[in-house]
Amino acid sequence: MIDFTLSKKQLELRDGIRQLGQFVIRPMSLEMDRKGEVPEAFQRNFMRLASSLRSNDAMEYLDEGGGAPKPARDPSRPSETNRTAAIGAEELAWADAAVMLSLPGPGLGGPPVRATGTPEQKQRFFGVFKDMENGPLRWGAYALTEPNAGSDVAGIRTSCRKEGREWVLNGRKCYITNGARAAWVVAFATVDPSLGRAGHRAFVVEQGTPGFSVGKIEEKMGLRANETAELVFEDCRVPEENLLGGEEAYRSKEGFMTAMKTFDNTRPLVAAMACGIGRAAYERARDFVKERYLLGRPIPRYAAIAEKLARVGRRLEAARSLVWRATTMADLGIPNAKEASMAKASAGQAATSACIDAISICGAHGTLSGDDALLEKWFRDIKVYDIFEGTGNIQRVVISKRILTDLRSF
Amino acid sequence: MISFEPTEEQALMQGSVAAFARSVLAPAIRKHEEARGLPESVRQSAHELGIGVLGLPESVGGHGQGWVTRVLVEEELGAADAGAAFALPGPGAFGTALLELGSDAQIRAELSPFGGDDGASRFGAVAWSEATPCRERAGFTTTATREGDAYVLRGTKAFVTNAAAAERFVVFAQVEPELGWGGLAAFVVPRGADGLALGARDATLGLDVASFGALRLEGVRVSEGARLRGDDGDPSLLRGTLRLFAKQSLLSAARAVGLARTAFELAREYCDTRTAFGKPIGHFQAVAFTLADRLMDVDSSRWLVWRAAAAWDAAPSRSEGVTKQALAAERRALLATAQAVAHTLEATMRCADDCVALHGGAGFIRDLIAEKLMRDAKQLALSCSTSEQLDQLAAAIELGAPLDPALVLPTPDAQAIFT
Repeated sequence: MIDFTLSKKQLELRDGIRQLGQFVIRPMSLEMDRKGEVPEAFQRNFMRLASSLRSNDAMEYLDEGGGAPKPARDPSRPSETNRTAAIGAEELAWADAAVMLSLPGPGLGGPPVRATGTPEQKQRFFGVFKDMENGPLRWGAYALTEPNAGSDVAGIRTSCRKEGREWVLNGRKCYITNGARAAWVVAFATVDPSLGRAGHRAFVVEQGTPGFSVGKIEEKMGLRANETAELVFEDCRVPEENLLGGEEAYRSKEGFMTAMKTFDNTRPLVAAMACGIGRAAYERARDFVKERYLLGRPIPRYAAIAEKLARVGRRLEAARSLVWRATTMADLGIPNAKEASMAKASAGQAATSACIDAISICGAHGTLSGDDALLEKWFRDIKVYDIFEGTGNIQRVVISKRILTDLRSF
Repeated sequence: MISFEPTEEQALMQGSVAAFARSVLAPAIRKHEEARGLPESVRQSAHELGIGVLGLPESVGGHGQGWVTRVLVEEELGAADAGAAFALPGPGAFGTALLELGSDAQIRAELSPFGGDDGASRFGAVAWSEATPCRERAGFTTTATREGDAYVLRGTKAFVTNAAAAERFVVFAQVEPELGWGGLAAFVVPRGADGLALGARDATLGLDVASFGALRLEGVRVSEGARLRGDDGDPSLLRGTLRLFAKQSLLSAARAVGLARTAFELAREYCDTRTAFGKPIGHFQAVAFTLADRLMDVDSSRWLVWRAAAAWDAAPSRSEGVTKQALAAERRALLATAQAVAHTLEATMRCADDCVALHGGAGFIRDLIAEKLMRDAKQLALSCSTSEQLDQLAAAIELGAPLDPALVLPTPDAQAIFT
């Protein structure tokens, strides 16, 4: 049955995060932004509260008994994991997106390990997240982008060559979320740039590996409470066991493509977060209008503002509908690369416009910074949602390839 | 649970209407446009499929289907020929007006004929808009004056869909002009009433296969029983009229989704096959990205229309009375509808516009249907509440403001719409 209502579990998750967001996270949002970090005490408490939001792959893997065979799922009751995650992600981003990105766990490093890692690798690398409740908090990271290779992934220049039982990596990675604090990072390198993607290899590089160091921690426009780091590989010697998927995985191009496919699941989540930030800005503008415009203003001026507000609201709804569509397909096991990109492209744009329009509706008030004035922060936070995990244009490349015949590249 | 899967029954109905639309409506789209109407055989087939009475209660011979089913079916019609969707037999907006404003007895009496064997030639219509600007009386010049136990209607209504074919009308008129919107009333007027005259048929930009026209009321006398009273405690008819326009707009939007889908498909195929500078034009980013954006428009419009339809299906029916829950559910459905329709109308215009643009000069020539889609898209956007009106409605609901009819309903004279 066509239905757009949330399940009981989803409502509880959403309302729980909303409460926490309103009374705990937002009041400390600006301070986190200024100090550039999410306090550890908060992260520990939060991890316990929202287990379904812990960045998923490792936890799921461990919850499932670390690779033990899964019990067959009742086909009449498909999983709602992706839909539920999107609802949680939107709500947490509504509170503070940087908190979401800073959650302990493997982060974006999780999907490639889960998709291409050997059983031993999964045990080893997901195992480090096992005892975070009592032990130290840990993060994973994903390092693909380089100073001279962003959207053009095939252009990476970080090199790798085999020496005995080790691989030697040289190069730089940039804009790596949680890169400096990561226990390990999935890093992409090439055996020979002339081979394009066929030459790519993915390694799990652990903190402390000789020749692996952290470069600059970036100062960003927004999401400042979340760490973005440069990673440096100088004759970095990675044991051969850390080649993701083992040598076998690279006999064909498949290995690399599998790693890229993991974005199909993460893009809708990023889009959901964008919807959350956009909605926060929308609600702020709406409440502002409610308080200030309704008392006897001349109708023409009010009507123009009301229309602007309504447009913001419906564009966000349209984006959210695409997020829900993409995550529903993911839950049903239907390939959703096109829909995931549509969600991401649409949400990044709708939410960025929402923040811009919300500020213009509020006028000068909208630009003030304060513990109860976060609109300027959301405006700074949102723009990157049309950039990271594939820019708006890259999403359109993905979509184009799936609607036009024989379009391999532009 | 969030789901995009129609029920088996819905899928069956959608499938049979899609087959009819593809095999009967689409191939004859130019022929029907030229004839400015649908032949009887087509109307008969549509009637046999039950398209016109899908949403009427079973108690009056309808199929008792909800709004989700209706939008699924309307998208298929719109994908083949949005104009034909307006020209198919049935009570149309008249039916919705009765269901939202009429009493049980009125619903039974006025809607039962449409499900009968001769339903293929029965149409209903709603007369709302007026051609004359009017600065008072909420813009309505048409009046209904009480004379004894009857009302006498005087005035001219404009932009009435299927005016020439309709056998009965719901006419909106002022009973207490000094009250402005508060004096609005609705009456059922049969085609044969003394003093009722048809104006000339309008020649329109698009959707011309359906007929639009004016209605002159020169002292038409109707009984008290012909007056539609709306919900309890809503003498000004605001709530019922809002629902009427919201639901009719949702049907228009569903047709628009179909039109947008066809425009996208047509453009996509052309960009796949037309070569320039040595490759298919779709292999140029400016072209491909435009297509990608339009696909986002088509899909998001469809999901928002479905979401609004599901919200109406989830709202308690009128017969369950005016409760707090019912009012809250109604507001949710109105908001979802306003958002869905405003988004869809704009998205559809973009799709049709780009469809012509991507075809280049060929898009402008009548050998292809691209130019027709663009004309129809604009006409569609005025065949229901406009996106400006719907944005005002959404904003008022979101702001918790009182629903000012001057802002949230279509005005009869300024930015008038086809009903």
